[in-house]
Amino acid sequence: MSGRRIVVTSGKGGVGKTTTTANLGATLAKRGHRVILIDADIGLRNLDLVLGLEKRIVFDVVEVAEGRCQLRQALIKDKRFGELLSILPAAQTRDKDAITEEQFAGIVKQAAEISDYVFIDCPAGIEAGFRNAIAGADEAIVVTTPEVSAIRDADRVIGKVAEKNIPIRLIVNRLRPEMVRTGDMLSVEDVCEILSAELIGVIPDDEEVIDTTNRGEPIVLDEANKLRVVYDKIARRLEGELVPFTNFDNQGFFGRLLGVLKAG
Amino acid sequence: MHEVQPEPVPVAQKAKRGRAIVITSGKGGVGKTTTTANLGHALAARGCSVALIDADVGLRNLDIVLGLESRVKHNLLDVLDGTVELDDAIVRDKHNASLVLLAASQTREKDEVDTEKMKALVERMREQYDYVIIDCPAGIEGGFKNAVVGADEAIVVCTPEVSAVRDVDRVVGLLGNKFRPQLIVNRLRPALVKKGKMLSVEDVNAILRLPLLGVIGDEPEIIVTTNRGEPIALRKDGATAAAYHAIAAKIAGEDVAAPTVEIKASGFFGRLGAMFGGAK
Amino acid sequence: MTLLRGKGLGLEVVLAGRDFAEALLELEAKLASQPGFYRGTEAVAVYGDAEPSAEQADALRRVLEGGGITLKGFTAATVVDGAEFERRRAMRPRREVTLSDEARSLVADFAGARADIAQRRKRGEESVRRADLVATRTATPIVAPPALTIVEPPPSTLYHVGTLRGGQSLQQVGNIVVVGDVNPGAELIASGDIVVFGRLGGVAHAGAQGDATARVYALDLSATQLRIASCIAADAGERTGAAGPEAAFVRDGRILVAALEKLPHPEAQGAQS
Repeated sequence: MSGRRIVVTSGKGGVGKTTTTANLGATLAKRGHRVILIDADIGLRNLDLVLGLEKRIVFDVVEVAEGRCQLRQALIKDKRFGELLSILPAAQTRDKDAITEEQFAGIVKQAAEISDYVFIDCPAGIEAGFRNAIAGADEAIVVTTPEVSAIRDADRVIGKVAEKNIPIRLIVNRLRPEMVRTGDMLSVEDVCEILSAELIGVIPDDEEVIDTTNRGEPIVLDEANKLRVVYDKIARRLEGELVPFTNFDNQGFFGRLLGVLKAG
Repeated sequence: MHEVQPEPVPVAQKAKRGRAIVITSGKGGVGKTTTTANLGHALAARGCSVALIDADVGLRNLDIVLGLESRVKHNLLDVLDGTVELDDAIVRDKHNASLVLLAASQTREKDEVDTEKMKALVERMREQYDYVIIDCPAGIEGGFKNAVVGADEAIVVCTPEVSAVRDVDRVVGLLGNKFRPQLIVNRLRPALVKKGKMLSVEDVNAILRLPLLGVIGDEPEIIVTTNRGEPIALRKDGATAAAYHAIAAKIAGEDVAAPTVEIKASGFFGRLGAMFGGAK
Repeated sequence: MTLLRGKGLGLEVVLAGRDFAEALLELEAKLASQPGFYRGTEAVAVYGDAEPSAEQADALRRVLEGGGITLKGFTAATVVDGAEFERRRAMRPRREVTLSDEARSLVADFAGARADIAQRRKRGEESVRRADLVATRTATPIVAPPALTIVEPPPSTLYHVGTLRGGQSLQQVGNIVVVGDVNPGAELIASGDIVVFGRLGGVAHAGAQGDATARVYALDLSATQLRIASCIAADAGERTGAAGPEAAFVRDGRILVAALEKLPHPEAQGAQS
């Protein structure tokens, strides 16, 4: 049976699509699944950077589409995960019109035949790049932050993705519980009520995340990173487990985590 | 903090054609819209007439950030299609009457924008306003091209992150020789830079090599102001408001001011100094 | 009514008003489309007129187990008349949904956007469908980047002054000289040598038609990736930027980098590859 084909999208740029794709993919690979990540942001590729793999790029998705190389030749295996995590980088010197929706969908399906999970990192916006990215997907994860502009864009994107009749799940990223408490930020409940999509993850804001992406080190590899638990939960929910959500509002994320550790 | 006193603009000067500036970045989420809104307010506070255009058709946000969403009746596409007059579509700001907004549509698509008509519209608006500032969408596709077409100046906004620097570099390349873009570094956290957990302004500009217009720190207050639709430049105090006003002053000064931060470039042209000054 | 729905902490399989065999097929298909999604949950089956037979119950149990669901039991659906329905609804505790101001304004805003679309439809305007736009655009053929074809006249040198930005690409049959920096994300492809009088940060491919004697020279050689003929090298360790002018060349099938002073003279390299 072929793998699941999940597009990670948002509408608004900068909410954490690439970071989420990389970390979620890495977490699932760590859990033993074969994962392929595809960067659909042609011309503005970042997925390779965020995983620290840019120096190993030889072929990209456009060259696969043009038939200049095989998919397997273009895939870059991340050695930190054995044979389980690979990425198909985007082209940097080309434009979004270098590939058609049919070509992209074909590559996604090909990737699904040799993996358990294919994640497609979608570019910002709702133009051709977005249409290419959703072309081969049979599930969608929408990433948003609890800010009005991001939610608005997410709503637009959900509307467009819904036309494809595929399951849509939601991740709320960069939550700041202290700002929710003072009423300066929308709560997760607010966000879910407005977007009415199935919630699959809540990720608190962490100023050190940028450093991990700058250095190309997925969070799942750092045992000391507080967000590792969060990504693990999302991975398990994606696998079908019913995992309760951490209540960040009560004691703040760190307080809660300490509580869990003390209980053993 | 000093207060910025608005300078009355003599009537004679209005005959001069206004400036059209596009605010862009490639990378999403770096603060283009927030910068557009705040710069607009800062320039208006100096007594200039300012028109802001939201070119993010289908994903409009400038109206929210300005707190004007309930006043938007018509949008950019209505004007370009000719179904509505420009004067009926623009929305006057509730804090400063010399600042107006032409909002984007939420329900339509970027490929419905006719490039030539967009260019003509910006030209027309330059006759009426001292500044026409265009908020560019993320990416480098059609939306980007249409936002850039009417402008003859560009400001690129970049955060101190490797992905953002790469994307901005790409955009600077695409802007080509017509523009000499200036740089705003946004969301800097000096404490993290000191710990080595964030790029410094020097790191960013070692690659971008652009004239530095300003640096804005990362205050959590900004999220509050954009959620509430009360741009931070309206405040009388605070580092962020001051930063925007300083940038506005530089823009209005009409010369490319020297960067406020020493660029210790690791490329070669910084070291060679006067011989190869500035990026091409 | 949906076949499978949540109820409390578990699930309900609604057999009432359905043909049993069809319901079973539909259930199987639904569980197969989302494998593992319901794993670990319990379900109660709700039947309508007739209680299912023992065989039917077994078949249902097996299908559910296939999806990781435990069948707890069966219950009869009760047909509730209008008055009884109202009475029960009045008794249910009201759940107040308190929206923050921003949330409320957004909900109103989206209602406005939907109203706008509805109005357009009423006026007979089609919200422009992407398919229509595609029809009016002329098909743009996918163009592969120009292959470097071998030309007879002596190859020339491309001389570029200025910084090469990410995403930009210079390709030349012959040599390439850049006076300026080459930023990460940019690429240089030459059949001959590459010389960067500045910092080389992107990808440089010299000898792109197979000439393994080609070299890459730079005042600061910090390329993301170096390629000469068919050899590829990525910067393995931490090379500090203070290395000074260097050149990359091929020896014994591997790319080596040497400081300018230590570099073997190009003429001395001969036909090595």
